[in-house]
Amino acid sequence: MTIKTLTSGVEMRQISKRFDAVQALANVNLELHPGEVHTIAGENGSGKSTLLKILGGVLKPDDGQILVAGEEKEFNSVRDAMRYGVTMVSQELSLVPNLGIAENVFIGHNQSRNKFGIDWKDTDRRALEILKRLNITVDPRREVSTLPQHEQQLVEIARALSFDTRVLLLDEPTSSLAPNEVAALFKVVRQLREDGVAVVLITHRMSEMLEISDRFTVLRDGKFIDTSDRSGVNENWLIDRMVLNKPKESARRNFQSSGRKTVLEVKGLSDRAGAYSDISFEVREGEIVGLAGLAGAGRTELVETLAGVRQRSAGEVFINGNQVGANSRTALKSGIALVPDDRRLKSTIHEMSVRDNLMLSQHKFEITHRSRKSEDKIIKSWIEKFSIKTSGPDAQIKSLSGGNQQKVVIARCLQTNPKILILDEATRGVDLGAKAEIYEILRNLANEGLSILVVSSEIGEIFEISDRILVMHAGELSANLDRSKTSEAEVVAAATGVK
Amino acid sequence: MKFKLPSLSTMPAWFGVLVLEVVLLIVMALTQPVFFSGSNLSNIVRSSAIPIVLGIGMTYTILTAGIDLSVGSVLAFSGILLSGIIELMPRYLAVVVTIALVTIIVGGINGTLIGRLGLNSFVVTLGTLGIFRGIAYLVTNGTTRSIDTGPLINKIGDGNVGPIPGPLLVVIVLAGISIYVLRSTYFGRDVYAVGGNEFAAKLAGIYTGRVKMNVYVISAFCAGVAGIMQVGRLSSAAPTAGAGLELTVVAGVLLGGTRLSGGVGSIWGTVIGLLFLQTVSNSLTIQGVSSYWQQVVTGVLLGAAVLFDRIRLELSGRAKSKEKK
Repeated sequence: MTIKTLTSGVEMRQISKRFDAVQALANVNLELHPGEVHTIAGENGSGKSTLLKILGGVLKPDDGQILVAGEEKEFNSVRDAMRYGVTMVSQELSLVPNLGIAENVFIGHNQSRNKFGIDWKDTDRRALEILKRLNITVDPRREVSTLPQHEQQLVEIARALSFDTRVLLLDEPTSSLAPNEVAALFKVVRQLREDGVAVVLITHRMSEMLEISDRFTVLRDGKFIDTSDRSGVNENWLIDRMVLNKPKESARRNFQSSGRKTVLEVKGLSDRAGAYSDISFEVREGEIVGLAGLAGAGRTELVETLAGVRQRSAGEVFINGNQVGANSRTALKSGIALVPDDRRLKSTIHEMSVRDNLMLSQHKFEITHRSRKSEDKIIKSWIEKFSIKTSGPDAQIKSLSGGNQQKVVIARCLQTNPKILILDEATRGVDLGAKAEIYEILRNLANEGLSILVVSSEIGEIFEISDRILVMHAGELSANLDRSKTSEAEVVAAATGVK
Repeated sequence: MKFKLPSLSTMPAWFGVLVLEVVLLIVMALTQPVFFSGSNLSNIVRSSAIPIVLGIGMTYTILTAGIDLSVGSVLAFSGILLSGIIELMPRYLAVVVTIALVTIIVGGINGTLIGRLGLNSFVVTLGTLGIFRGIAYLVTNGTTRSIDTGPLINKIGDGNVGPIPGPLLVVIVLAGISIYVLRSTYFGRDVYAVGGNEFAAKLAGIYTGRVKMNVYVISAFCAGVAGIMQVGRLSSAAPTAGAGLELTVVAGVLLGGTRLSGGVGSIWGTVIGLLFLQTVSNSLTIQGVSSYWQQVVTGVLLGAAVLFDRIRLELSGRAKSKEKK
């Protein structure tokens, strides 16, 4: 297989990349052939996205080579990558929302010109041609921000096609799509394959990758594990290679909800910006509730409203029967603490110490002196309790690994003595060891009587940790299931809106 | 304990500026004997004091990822306000009332619009920059008012308190309080947190709007004090006082390592940055270089400092990734 010379393919050799304390990739190889759909499989934090970003020219590798048609090339920028025919459609859409579709397709390159400047008629015509290839019919002058998300994604792909793209990188293109939209996207992917494009795909859904891929490469903890043709691959093959320790059945708790009092009660809550509406549910004392759903279902918006950082238009929230106010300080005081989904953007303060980050939710009259001594005692007890690996309370938070940063954020929340702890994608970007530790911490907390709400896009995680599973779809609560009496299929159906 | 030079990655951003300041002092001492005369040194201190006082307030606002462009105008407004009420009451009371009114009026407007209503600090303070400069011109009809300052105001702006120059004393008091507040109080932590990551700060229960409001009140207070100092220095209040000074102050604050995007910086850096700018301009004057060149030099220095900081971070980042291999 490897003897075949890659006359028109792309090869990555011995790629390594490190972020602060985390070795994201270590000597990873990847071969791409024209006309194949190649899935990179692996758990969160396995380095898939990093690998794609390096090939797309977004990140520079610390080490390793990239070969195009057998020749080593420098991929120093997105523009470089495009020059060699590699285009990336990223998880975070990179369109200019206030410009039109055609403008976005040709932005920065290949603009049609006439003697007065940009030739808009010709731009529109060429955009329409490409959009037709993707089976969408829209006005090319329409503002991109007015399109639904899956169509925005197609615009990104259209943009990629406006270059002479030979390698198309799709990072989780289906994460926020409904089944019929996924089918439409895959139709496009198959067509591109026939045109001789190499499509690299990252998806979390096993069934999707098995449906469309010709080849698989598995990464785990930033290391290359295995690669194979479609013929040798099934679900077990993938799981064996992706997951080091499969969840143990015995680790699951046996939770009896009867006779437990209700801690959190949400009644008819609606988001002011319309991300979700009329949500009602309860969480009992000592219960772990999983909140499943696709990206964009409104889960993050819901929990951020509970934590008081997002505005509601209707509804009430009660903790132990007492109504909770709508700002973050009162939410914290009443006992709601949130570990948000994006550490870098939403929870850690990057330039601050472990001390400041851990004590951030402790408040007194503003010009009160902070006693280092009494803070040290608290911080050291958390470092010990959660085995946080840090050189000390005054180490910069950014010197810690992702998992340890997350433990600091959880400690910050627990230091406020919450009645309910909410975790949004708490194990995203955390290595497997730390993930297991975080699960263990959560189980122990629940056993001590703390109520916990876990938002996760990983079905496996939801099933491993929850006693009860809530599912959201398109801003509504679509299911409320007992974990022991449901199946992954049922949760996926509720999450994708299949009745 | 052995003294260790800070490494590239651990040294504060202002360390490089401090080294440059020392080098500059040595060079000037060797080439221009008049530079080290007592009167010239005290001149540097006196002329740095007003920018530093403004810089202390500016540091708070930039730490929260904001900016206060109105300080130069407010300095003039404060002086004019003092000239208007000084005849009506004892001088010490006039000083207190002036500073209080400036703090309440300017801090109230900037703070409410930026902190409470969430408007952009650049736009809001660009507006108040125009408004208070305009008011200063309107009230005086463009003329300079001479003021019989008396000993107190004179000491604040120009004279000596015992052996120490009065303006230096003001700087020591304000900088000392601010260093303590920013390092060791809940408010100080909140200021850094709001600038470092506003969402995270809010989620952690910090009243981010109130913190932002407070930093503009503090900045207005500092501008109010600086206005009194200016009157003490010149024995007059001019509507042109401090015109364009806000840009020098911002330059000094940034030179001192405070990051325009917020969350990183220190009062020490601001003091050293502005002292350095003043030393440079004083040295150039003594060397007989035209004042037009001084502006060019200031710009070059600021660019060099930012570039240096970037290179420093890049190098320390690379060193770290090598270490771990």
